[in-house]
Amino acid sequence: MINLFGYRVSWTQLAWFGHRASGLGVLLFLFLHIVETSTVLLGPEVYDFTQTFYANLPAKIGEVLLMAALVYHSLNGLRVIVMDFWPASTIYYRPLTYGVIAATVVSMVPLGAIILTAYLPWG
Amino acid sequence: MTATTRRSRVIYTNPSRAARPKPEASGRERFWWYFMRFSGLALVFLALGHMFIMHVLVVLTGQQIDFAFVQSRWGTPFWRIYDLLLLVLALAHGVNGARIVIGDYVTHRTARGLLLSLLLAISAIWLVAGIAIIALFDPST
Repeated sequence: MINLFGYRVSWTQLAWFGHRASGLGVLLFLFLHIVETSTVLLGPEVYDFTQTFYANLPAKIGEVLLMAALVYHSLNGLRVIVMDFWPASTIYYRPLTYGVIAATVVSMVPLGAIILTAYLPWG
Repeated sequence: MTATTRRSRVIYTNPSRAARPKPEASGRERFWWYFMRFSGLALVFLALGHMFIMHVLVVLTGQQIDFAFVQSRWGTPFWRIYDLLLLVLALAHGVNGARIVIGDYVTHRTARGLLLSLLLAISAIWLVAGIAIIALFDPST
């Protein structure tokens, strides 16, 4: 149990909310990504120019957040699939949920470092 | 019906408790329930693979994403089909998820109808646009 703005919220409730929030976030980026990729039809100058929008620190932090959202949504989604198709795994509900959150955080350390390193002010 | 049996039944029909319970009746809603799980499984490989190639391998090999990169990538049918599959599955999976979220939180009938129609209309336009980009791009330009 953690205290969030005066509400007692369990990690498993947060895992459920995180699944929705990360899903909606990735969908929003997908719409943006289709618009931005459409410039590839307008030739090299236009496309290469739109790609420069991503070559700065705020955009790279957004990229890390997108990656984290996708990694979390994937792992938690796999947990949903396992528990829906093998209901006996329900007894591991809690450890599986904590595992998903921990695996997301741990995998994002090297992935985040690879994406950010070249763009950090001291890098 | 005792509390114990009712409780165990709820856990059985919605074991993950992270998504909706499987619809009891066969039909459209049950199709979408299965679709979310099977497309989700495919997207774990397609979407994570895409992110890993574009944002990790590209950095580690010292390349960068520009027009020439897209030319060489979409010059091969494999990556075009990969990206087409990713686009269609991700959009369908995401839009169905958004539809379920809207259905859960927007209770006003008119507002819900308007939001759902808007979501469907925008998604259809973006889907056609996305397919057109992959299909129309000419790598020899």
